[in-house]
Amino acid sequence: MLLAALSIALAASLPLVRGLRLAVFDGYQRLFPLERTTTVVTIVAIDEASIARYGQWPWPRTRVAELVGRIGEYGSASIGFDIFFPEPDRFSPAAIAAELPVVPTELAHSLALLPSNDEVLARSIRGHHVVLGIASGAPDPRFPAPPRAPPIAMPAEGLPDIDSLPGHIGNVPVISAAAESRGLMDAGPESEVVRQVPMVRRVQGALVASLGVETLRVAEDAGLKLEPARGGLINLRLGDHATTIQEDGTAWLRMGPHDPQRFVSALDVMERRVNPELLNGRAVLLGIDGIGVQDYKTTPLGEFVPGVEIHAQVIENLFGGVKLVRPAYASLMEAGALAACGLLLIVLLPRMSALQGTHLAFAMVLLLTGSGLVAFLYFDTLLDPAGPAIGTLAVFASVMVGTLSEAERQRRQLREQAARMAGEVDAARRIQMGLLPDPHAALGHDPRYGIAALLEPARTVGGDFYDFFMVDERRLFFVVADVSGKGLPAALFMAAVKSNLKGAALRGGSVGEILTRAQAQIALENPEQLFVTVFAGLLDLDSGHLEYANAGHEPPFSRLERGVPERFGSSGGPPLCVIEDFVFPTQGRTLAAGEWLCVVTDGATEAMNESGAFFSSERLRASLTWVGKDATPDEVMARVRDDVARFVGQAEIADDITLLVLRWKGGQEAAPSER
Amino acid sequence: MNVSSRRYSTAVVLQVSGRLDQDTCDAFRGQLMGHVDSAAREAGAVVLDLSALEYVSSAGLRCFMLASRQAKAQHGRIFVAQLQPMVAEIFQISHFNLVFQVFPTVREALGAVSAEAAAAYEKA
Repeated sequence: MLLAALSIALAASLPLVRGLRLAVFDGYQRLFPLERTTTVVTIVAIDEASIARYGQWPWPRTRVAELVGRIGEYGSASIGFDIFFPEPDRFSPAAIAAELPVVPTELAHSLALLPSNDEVLARSIRGHHVVLGIASGAPDPRFPAPPRAPPIAMPAEGLPDIDSLPGHIGNVPVISAAAESRGLMDAGPESEVVRQVPMVRRVQGALVASLGVETLRVAEDAGLKLEPARGGLINLRLGDHATTIQEDGTAWLRMGPHDPQRFVSALDVMERRVNPELLNGRAVLLGIDGIGVQDYKTTPLGEFVPGVEIHAQVIENLFGGVKLVRPAYASLMEAGALAACGLLLIVLLPRMSALQGTHLAFAMVLLLTGSGLVAFLYFDTLLDPAGPAIGTLAVFASVMVGTLSEAERQRRQLREQAARMAGEVDAARRIQMGLLPDPHAALGHDPRYGIAALLEPARTVGGDFYDFFMVDERRLFFVVADVSGKGLPAALFMAAVKSNLKGAALRGGSVGEILTRAQAQIALENPEQLFVTVFAGLLDLDSGHLEYANAGHEPPFSRLERGVPERFGSSGGPPLCVIEDFVFPTQGRTLAAGEWLCVVTDGATEAMNESGAFFSSERLRASLTWVGKDATPDEVMARVRDDVARFVGQAEIADDITLLVLRWKGGQEAAPSER
Repeated sequence: MNVSSRRYSTAVVLQVSGRLDQDTCDAFRGQLMGHVDSAAREAGAVVLDLSALEYVSSAGLRCFMLASRQAKAQHGRIFVAQLQPMVAEIFQISHFNLVFQVFPTVREALGAVSAEAAAAYEKA
């Protein structure tokens, strides 16, 4: 969208783009000013020295006639006037007579008989190949007829785009009649840098060449011919010389710097002090170069030069075959370059680093500027890199902003995701921990047994749990389990396992039957194909008879009050949900009063230290051996927990660590004798 | 964890070395499933040579279980051979010898696959 808008803006030449374009074109001219190689034209300047000698401008036309005569003596090929004479000279004898308040009638009469100054100038002009200056513009009642100019050869279909003006200011008829031709003194709008000057214009319907063109044509005694050229341009042929101009009859001037060598002083001409080579056979322009004279112009090189020098440069451009054009397709090429650069940026930028992207954008700007310079230097064509470069940078900026905000969005997403993950982990942990009964609160003080349990969750939550509850007056059901998985799925599965086990246990039967029944239920709601190791027991608190079943779980240790730890056998079955129709066997033994068991998950035995060694069931056995003979379940649990923590050291705990310690103190009858 | 495979007739022996735990089990599972799949298609068998497996966690056991289920579904066979003491204990505790047929040596496992596989192993 932006790209399209910019392309259109470029094609439409917004004032800003236009201003920048002109600045760039001026930059080209300043970087590579045209060297003056031809000396076809010389300017005779009515300068400060001449005015000091002959008085203020305008001079009487007799003086101008004298000057023209001198120039002619030097053998000039033509003389172009960058001055004009629209009114009769007020210094003519008859005019003076009419002006003076008291003049003897005789004197007035004889003055009136003298030739007018205009006639004197006309006589001088005749035969010196003079091109008079005229100015095109609004209609002027003094000059109702179109200016007389030699015919310019044109294609049959005409050149309708050439500028057309409705009027002009010319010269008094007597002078005009004596001149060989007329040329336009127009040099572009006032108070603007002179970049484009009219070469031909239609004035009151007549096609008229500019003063420079016409002065050269007269000097060369050649014909002038216009023909259409590629890119909507016009070829201008003058004898052997040719150039290409814009469709409106103007030409972009290739400027050289101000050069005093172009000028000779009118005073030196009058006093015959000029090197004859400077005038002999040359086109001569007669102009004014003095302080206070209005006709000064600014060139693209930033110089302030007499207007007549612009005409001289026109002649030099034309004579030297130097041209500079801006074809109709230039704007299209610029829009195309912008579209190409913009698209490339839009496609490539998101795949690049910010630094690479910046390099690419600057490379494009350099390439555009370089292409513009090459077109200027080698193809005499004005292509504008400023518009495409600004457009490219704008596209770059907006894509960068887009990319940055995309990156920002992704960062935010990652942060949110991390927060969600943390939230999920927290939720999983809350589910897991919230389901665990509190040994102290849940069971009150039953003198027949003591129980302690602990679950230390790992960073990425495993699915351990423990549970215990009375299934009837006499029997305590307890379970320690470990789900094979992590995170929310494991936590949810653990919740399902826990409730199914409880449901199965409360329905009665042997522990093996409870596991078998629970497995059948759990298997129905296990989409993740998780499994769970379970050690479950049913302790008759009166008799001390323990019934238990092991589903792939770490066998627990038991210890008599004054004995050593003894590990349960590994008989039993696979974890729940590994072999879904497995029937779990029940085993049994009778505990002695004061005997306790310690059930752990592999988070404890497989807790790893920094060198990658496991805590192992042997260290667990040693830990349990060092427990005092009358230690409470809480003390046993603390002992194991501390030993594991000390062993792990700075290493990260990889899996949940679960411990359950259960001590049977003796039957109801024995209870009072218990401490 | 590293897996290298060798073919003996219709049997593929996968030697698994290192530790098989939460961090490595996904990669292992991908490879194992691929072999189980192709073995099932040509009525062959996969023999897991665990002589260099140091440790298997419950996540690793789950991998074995899923492979066994896939093999069963595709009528393929997986045998396990040459357990190290630690892994043997884990298999014993978790009763995974009920999931897989476990053999003391690769040779014996290949004998259970086919006479050709065992012969190919003898020759190599």
